[in-house]
Amino acid sequence: MGVRIFKKVKAENPDLIACWSGIGNIGLIAVDTLRSEIQAEEFGEIEPWDFFYPRKVSIEGGLLKDLEFSRSKFYFQRVGKKDLIIFVGEEQPTEKGDLYASGGKAYEMASLVLDIADEFQCKRVYTSGAAVAPIHHTLRPKVWAAANKKDLIEEIKRYENTISMSEVEGADDQGAITGLNGLLLGVAKKRGLEGICLMGEIPLYLQASPLLYPKASKSVLEVLTKILGIRLDLRTFDNYVAQSEATVEKFYGHLPSELRDQLEKFKNIRYVKPAPTMPTMTAEDKKKLMEDVERFLQKKEGEQI
Amino acid sequence: MIEKDVLRFSKTPKLQRPSLVVGWGRDAGKLGVKVIDFLNEKLASEEFCQIRPTGFFSLGGVEVENDVVQFPESTFCFCRRKDLVTFKSSEPQYEWYKFLNSVLDVAETFNTKTFYTVSGTISLISHTSPRRIFTVSNQPELKKMFQGFGLADMDYEGEPALSSYLLWAAKKRNIPGVSLWVEVPFYLASVEDPKAWKRVLEFFNQKFSLDIDLEGISQKIKTQNEEIQKLRRRKPAVDKYLSQLEGGFVLNEKEQQKLAKEVYKSLKEHQRG
Repeated sequence: MGVRIFKKVKAENPDLIACWSGIGNIGLIAVDTLRSEIQAEEFGEIEPWDFFYPRKVSIEGGLLKDLEFSRSKFYFQRVGKKDLIIFVGEEQPTEKGDLYASGGKAYEMASLVLDIADEFQCKRVYTSGAAVAPIHHTLRPKVWAAANKKDLIEEIKRYENTISMSEVEGADDQGAITGLNGLLLGVAKKRGLEGICLMGEIPLYLQASPLLYPKASKSVLEVLTKILGIRLDLRTFDNYVAQSEATVEKFYGHLPSELRDQLEKFKNIRYVKPAPTMPTMTAEDKKKLMEDVERFLQKKEGEQI
Repeated sequence: MIEKDVLRFSKTPKLQRPSLVVGWGRDAGKLGVKVIDFLNEKLASEEFCQIRPTGFFSLGGVEVENDVVQFPESTFCFCRRKDLVTFKSSEPQYEWYKFLNSVLDVAETFNTKTFYTVSGTISLISHTSPRRIFTVSNQPELKKMFQGFGLADMDYEGEPALSSYLLWAAKKRNIPGVSLWVEVPFYLASVEDPKAWKRVLEFFNQKFSLDIDLEGISQKIKTQNEEIQKLRRRKPAVDKYLSQLEGGFVLNEKEQQKLAKEVYKSLKEHQRG
């Protein structure tokens, strides 16, 4: 179990930006877009076989050619004066059928990623994921932030369209970040590394759908690039977001009209403290709505959306 | 390095440079398990090592099959006379890579010449058709060893089976290995396919000069054929589907399911007596 480095990299005080797949692949799309836009070069990978079952075999003329696993790769690029190490994990290692990373395997993978951060003397680690929120898909997703040190939160909240997790109505200062996008920050804290997780909002009625949600990835990218002080040309990405919005709109159009009437309320629901003069949604209303959406999705199972 | 906490040796047999035959549970036509059981029985093989189930299987309870409690089994046996080692195992649920490397640790300990995995591959053939064996090697030079045995090369791209994973892990450790994929008619996949067992045992007989008497299996094939023949007489639809298959035609999904259901029901009833 280890990391294979196949290219020497000289980095000065880099930041590490790490991400794994998750709900709507919001974080993964954001970080992978950053990687591709800055043309970061691959320099290493975590050996997959202790973490994942292979996903594809190639056999030609009676000879085993290759076995393909999900990739967990490291990239590097200098952007202006900023050195960035990017880690992209296509899959979260799971144990005993869990949906997201948990247990020993997750901790081992987080440790391997942070070994690289230590080796390059990173001071700060960013991760990204999804924040399931009572919002409507036509609204601009906010970015929720959590950090492994209190003073980092104040720093992040200065950025436009960003809120801290504790500002969410009903959160009671409690919350959770599932899987490795959260765990990495915990392990980083133990190692004395600063850690920030940026989570793009996804409407709660889309969380269980198989749809990707790059609209939220864009919100994450906007905040992340401002923090890092870099500019990206996102014209191609904007096209992708527009296409995805059309797909979401189609999905929405297939929902029963009574359900859609309920979901329309999300356009005006207040869920962030402090309270402006907007209606709130009770926990009971939220639960009922989710049950309706789930019922609809179960019915849709097997149908192409 | 051998994982001592994973392997439990009950004896250390003295072997020259054995071949290793690997079969997995829950195989199409019960191929892997039956071939290994047959080899062990006919060669009077002795058990010498087990892989401990902890960490590889859920162990949250047991499965019950025909009222009999099942438990994951991963056992190595040897036959000194024929310089042959067998490994019969349930497919692990977790930690595949560690599990497969434990199998390879044993192969390496005995300086195994070549290992063979035996598995069934579901095919749209009829039970009266001959069974082809498709091979996959993890080293190009192994392919020469199989000339003259009437085997076919496999071409495949898709989800890997555990046997392919084992071949790949062995390639990393430079251990030569071959997977034998024997055709099993789709409607015999969830019952038994003695004709497929016989095909692969004939290959081993020839390859390792085992001189095993396969008459018992021939008898089983005859009985199964008679049962299916009776079913054909009872159910004209079954006869029609089988005639189509024998004529080289492909059945649609619904027809396949219907045929498989009828054959399963009939053979299970016969088994229960």
